[in-house]
Amino acid sequence: MASRLFLIVLLLASLASAQQWHPPTQTKKLSNGLVVVVSEDHSAPTIGICVTYGIGFRLEPEGRTGFAHLFEHMMFEGTPVSPKGVFDQVAESGGGFINGDTRYDYTEYIESASSAALDPLLWLEADRMKTLDFSEKNLENQRNVVEEEVRVNVMNQPYGLFYAIDLPGKAWDTYPNAHNFYGDFKDLDAANIKDVQTFYEQYYAPNNAVLAVVGDVKPEEVFEKAEKYFGALPQRKVPPKPDLIERPQASERRSTQEDKLATLPALGIGYRMPPKTPHESVVAAVTGELLHNGEASRLYQALVKEKQVAAEVSGGVNWPLGTFLEYSGPTLMTSFIIYPANLKGNDVMTAYDSVIESLAKIGPKAEELDRVRSKMRSDWYDQLEIPVSRASALGHAALLDGDPMRVYSVPDELNKVTADEVRAFAAKYLVKNNRTIIDRVPAAKSSTPDSKDGKQ
Amino acid sequence: MKTLRALTASYLLLVSIAHAQKEHSLPKDLPPYGPVAPLKTPTVKTLQLDNGLTVWLVAREGFPKVALTVAVRGGLAADPKDRPGLAEVLAKTLTQGTKTRTARQVAEQFQFVGGDLSARAGQDAIFVSTSVLAEKFNQVLPLLADVVTNANFPDAEVKIAKSNVANSLRSRESQPGFLANRALAKVMFGDHPYSVIAPTQSSIEQTTPEDLRREFARRLQPKQAVLVVVGSFDATKAEASLRQAFQSWKAAGSESVPETPKPSIQPARAVYLVPRAGSVQTTLRVGAAGPERQAEDYEASEVANAIYGGMFGSRLVLNIREDKGYTYSPFSALRTYREAGYFATQADVRNAVTGATLNEIDYELNRMCTTGPSDTEMTQAKRYLVGNEAIGLQSGGGLAGELGRLWVDGLPPDNIAKESEKIDKSIAADVTAVAKKYLPAARSTVIAVGEEKVVREELQPFGMDIKPAP
Repeated sequence: MASRLFLIVLLLASLASAQQWHPPTQTKKLSNGLVVVVSEDHSAPTIGICVTYGIGFRLEPEGRTGFAHLFEHMMFEGTPVSPKGVFDQVAESGGGFINGDTRYDYTEYIESASSAALDPLLWLEADRMKTLDFSEKNLENQRNVVEEEVRVNVMNQPYGLFYAIDLPGKAWDTYPNAHNFYGDFKDLDAANIKDVQTFYEQYYAPNNAVLAVVGDVKPEEVFEKAEKYFGALPQRKVPPKPDLIERPQASERRSTQEDKLATLPALGIGYRMPPKTPHESVVAAVTGELLHNGEASRLYQALVKEKQVAAEVSGGVNWPLGTFLEYSGPTLMTSFIIYPANLKGNDVMTAYDSVIESLAKIGPKAEELDRVRSKMRSDWYDQLEIPVSRASALGHAALLDGDPMRVYSVPDELNKVTADEVRAFAAKYLVKNNRTIIDRVPAAKSSTPDSKDGKQ
Repeated sequence: MKTLRALTASYLLLVSIAHAQKEHSLPKDLPPYGPVAPLKTPTVKTLQLDNGLTVWLVAREGFPKVALTVAVRGGLAADPKDRPGLAEVLAKTLTQGTKTRTARQVAEQFQFVGGDLSARAGQDAIFVSTSVLAEKFNQVLPLLADVVTNANFPDAEVKIAKSNVANSLRSRESQPGFLANRALAKVMFGDHPYSVIAPTQSSIEQTTPEDLRREFARRLQPKQAVLVVVGSFDATKAEASLRQAFQSWKAAGSESVPETPKPSIQPARAVYLVPRAGSVQTTLRVGAAGPERQAEDYEASEVANAIYGGMFGSRLVLNIREDKGYTYSPFSALRTYREAGYFATQADVRNAVTGATLNEIDYELNRMCTTGPSDTEMTQAKRYLVGNEAIGLQSGGGLAGELGRLWVDGLPPDNIAKESEKIDKSIAADVTAVAKKYLPAARSTVIAVGEEKVVREELQPFGMDIKPAP
């Protein structure tokens, strides 16, 4: 009896401590609307900075596919007072690096460096929030760089990211959600400096941005510097967000593609997720992870191990373009499955469907749900570990969920998800009428490969 | 307990940040860098268990996870001649069941503690790693110990893993980067064991559970292994728990892994072609000999690499990306193994600028030998290298991995601080000296993966032999 009591006490203690990791974090809004988030962490003399803007692929204009990302490259091409190359030089000479990333609903700019570089890096971020060097020459240079990026990541790779580009293209019906976010070359070629200017003026305003700073800093110091460098930037009128809602899907959508470079066939399967709401989006995430995350997941165990109809399985909600919270419009739960050449897509789908049906009928066991949530909490912490990735996570949550502190409540939110909610979610949303399937098969060897470059 | 040694009192590293000079004139209102805080290098407690297992512990508060890596000597370079790449199959099957746990139980129990169990074969070692919730740290030790001690390679699991590795190889062979790296290793290392980076279909096919059990016994021995633990844990309690979990690990065989001989790297000045129909780019790799990590000139070589093509602000990136727009992904790296090192330059470029790009790569390689680095370049490169090393060690997994690699290379934990100090002390003349030793274009070799006709036409003017990759 005594030992049992002791165990319970220990268990409670461990549960309590498990939920308590919450590094000090403060938020302030400047009078021009810029949200500033600071998380103090003195474990190393380093800092991470992330400026997230509320603009992504979804809102790029028609006829300008790929523009949000091309524009992101232009943010590194200098300003009238800080020529191209200065930002990199200052960051690298400050013991760090800079980068940028464009996604459906946001574009982020990150710096990781020694804490000694805080002032110059904040100054440079503010400088490019003021204006840019709208240079034709630099646009032409970055257009070339971006087209090489599309070649190296899409056109010259097996599978060509079809599960991330073509699948949403078939699953959704409206331009914002369905278009090719990397950009058609004719649209990239058509982009001009006027487009860069307009896009900048519309979306790159302090009131459409979040500045997050994490690491070896004091919050008061960062708020003061933010005011000093960003405070005078004028608010601008940001276009209202268009209606992104799609009409319900009537029936399953299936298609087949040929792949000139792949040696093994693959399936992309996308289920439309319901509009993002606080609790249901976490239920969706748990469902996605239970099916896809790691060797213990249901799809891996069934398809790779038991039935041996797949070589690799990956996927999840909002995969592969962010975590299960990093979106604010329509998104999919995607499965990407590479399967052996001697099988047909339908053989794999039969096995896949029985996994989904069993989840929808019986739901997860308590023990299974428990370990999936443990793994998810552990993975969630990973993105909060180092300053620059915590700055990203805080910035995205502030922008997309209106509350940076959401990143710390996720472990608690995971614990509230019940087995029956997962079952009901699968039964309601993981149904055939709600999904799109692309079967991507290696092109027959006899076909003549089109080796000519799109544009030379 | 044999030895117990603590490397205490964090090595403090003082590096001055000079304001980058000219090159780009800096904006007149740009505020200066602030005072530089000393970089903290980790305090590593080292001990050795009675069975010979080396243990490196880094206890640090805060972040509620613990990263663990077991590195065992004997990677791809230790594979039998007739089973190239066997270490990859060994790594894949190592996690697939023990005497008392099925593969599924292993996967589920790691998931419960918040980790994935991954095993990966490098050239010199196999790395078994995971990262778990700190509150479940005590549960992971017996699990991890069971895998490295008692993996039993069940026939059914070996069959599945072989099929997955075979499919994974087919899939990798459709990626131009893999084809280029595989060819580069063969050209750089010839008959030396470092020439193999992946298995072949026939070596996978021939691998038996007996092969795996034999290699497991030969490699997974406590006296040729290190356990690295980094994260939030009580050091005293952890020491007791890990002794309990790992002390029963006994070598199953008496044979152990021999030293890998030092290769001599003298690649031919030639173009090695890997034809790939349908390519819209040429995937270029340029290789040149370099130092291993223990070499005297390793740090100066890292600085040279940063200035040549390792940083975004490097000569190569500014030239072929930021000026000419030939490529998205130009980069150079100094790749090191325990017994060798080499410089690898990479760029994937649209077909029409294949020749133009190689011309610029050759130019920048030679310019490293003829035109010494400016003060700005030296400052930027040194700060970049020291700072990014510190950034890489911020995460528990990053630090555990780096410590594991150091141990495999035969270097102590305080090498982290020493390397940074040596980088900081290097001067322009050191950089030019290593550039002259390693980087002349005439001593480099070229791999090109792409449309055969395009590569031949584009690279013919260089006057090098264009031959099929080995």
